[in-house]
Amino acid sequence: MELFEELEIALAREEVWAMLVDAEILSQCITGCETVERISETEYTLLLGTSIGPVRARFTGTIELTDLNPPESYTMLGSGKGGVVGFAKGSAKIRLQDRTVAGKTGTLLSCTLAVSVGGKLAQIGSRLVDVAARKLTTDFLSRFVALAEK
Amino acid sequence: MYSFNYSKPDTIEAAREMMRSAEDGIYLAGGQTLIPAMKQRLSAPTDVIDLSSIGELTDIDVSDGRVRLGALVKHADVAGSDAVRSAIPALADLAAGIGDAQVRNRGTIGGSVANNDPAADYPAALLGLGASVHTDQRQIPADDFFVGLFETALEEGEIITQVAFPVPDRAAYAKFPNPASRYATVGVFIGVRDGVTRVAVTGAAPCAFRSAEIEAALNAEISARSLDGITIGADDLNNDIHASAEYRAHLVTVMAKRAVTALPK
Repeated sequence: MELFEELEIALAREEVWAMLVDAEILSQCITGCETVERISETEYTLLLGTSIGPVRARFTGTIELTDLNPPESYTMLGSGKGGVVGFAKGSAKIRLQDRTVAGKTGTLLSCTLAVSVGGKLAQIGSRLVDVAARKLTTDFLSRFVALAEK
Repeated sequence: MYSFNYSKPDTIEAAREMMRSAEDGIYLAGGQTLIPAMKQRLSAPTDVIDLSSIGELTDIDVSDGRVRLGALVKHADVAGSDAVRSAIPALADLAAGIGDAQVRNRGTIGGSVANNDPAADYPAALLGLGASVHTDQRQIPADDFFVGLFETALEEGEIITQVAFPVPDRAAYAKFPNPASRYATVGVFIGVRDGVTRVAVTGAAPCAFRSAEIEAALNAEISARSLDGITIGADDLNNDIHASAEYRAHLVTVMAKRAVTALPK
């Protein structure tokens, strides 16, 4: 599935960019993220505990930032393995543009997300995967904006 | 299955105590979602606390203009209750159309409501009738209860004891079932009481919701005709292999018209 979200942030583009490459900030925005560990400049491993309705799974995942073009765009590649539950893979293309927000220099953040799942998650979860991915994305973005505008 | 602790308390207090001391506990009502999820290992709680021995949760009471269903009342019991059928026929019909015979004979109203599946039938009835959810702690109006995707206003460990429906003047439910699961691809529940019409939609979005547009049109005139020209936006609707968001948006008005037409005169 694919998903497109766009939102305004009352913070300058350079500062939004700095947050987007900060593992600590990212981990605070990811629902259920328990630990995050930096492997290299652009790679992180994380431990996620996800609970959506009847599905309660723990994922070990990696995030890699690619196509870095500061302070304008990057692609976040994520993958997670939930043991017997299955696996999930996704990519989020993030783009920042200058935008006047509430009379000040702000940022327009657009996010194009693609997600695929496999294993039992896909087998029984097909009905719920899209709606769950959308929820995790909007939760991520609203927390990110809350942190940015704090 | 893998091993887990199973307990079957007789009282709500005992159940809560067990939940408090469990590492990763879960309540079991009818088990029609939980057990398949556990079999598939999509859920692996350490403690399953079976509520079925708590006798007070299985009562059906119709009096004082209210239908009160204990949390563990099964769908088949609601469908087969003459008292419920004579007070709110639409509610009995809705229960009769949930899932298949197995689900109806095991699944419970409390389990369905607590799980808040986006395609479950009961949330539409609760919202459409302006019901209230009673727990061991408090009373929650349906409008405040269903928060989001599989999310409710329930606190950790809180137990639903009863769902109370005010008896409407007229009500009807129309759903477009998924042919395999009988989950609502889209379902619309309409309840009319004291001249006010409530319209609740399930299956279409991440969580059941009331449609302000359809309510406004029906509050002006209760007829299928008054819904001509109403289009529901597809932006926030569910999109999956069973139905696109646009298709679901279209179905909302179609099901609303069918429900209006089915309202008892």
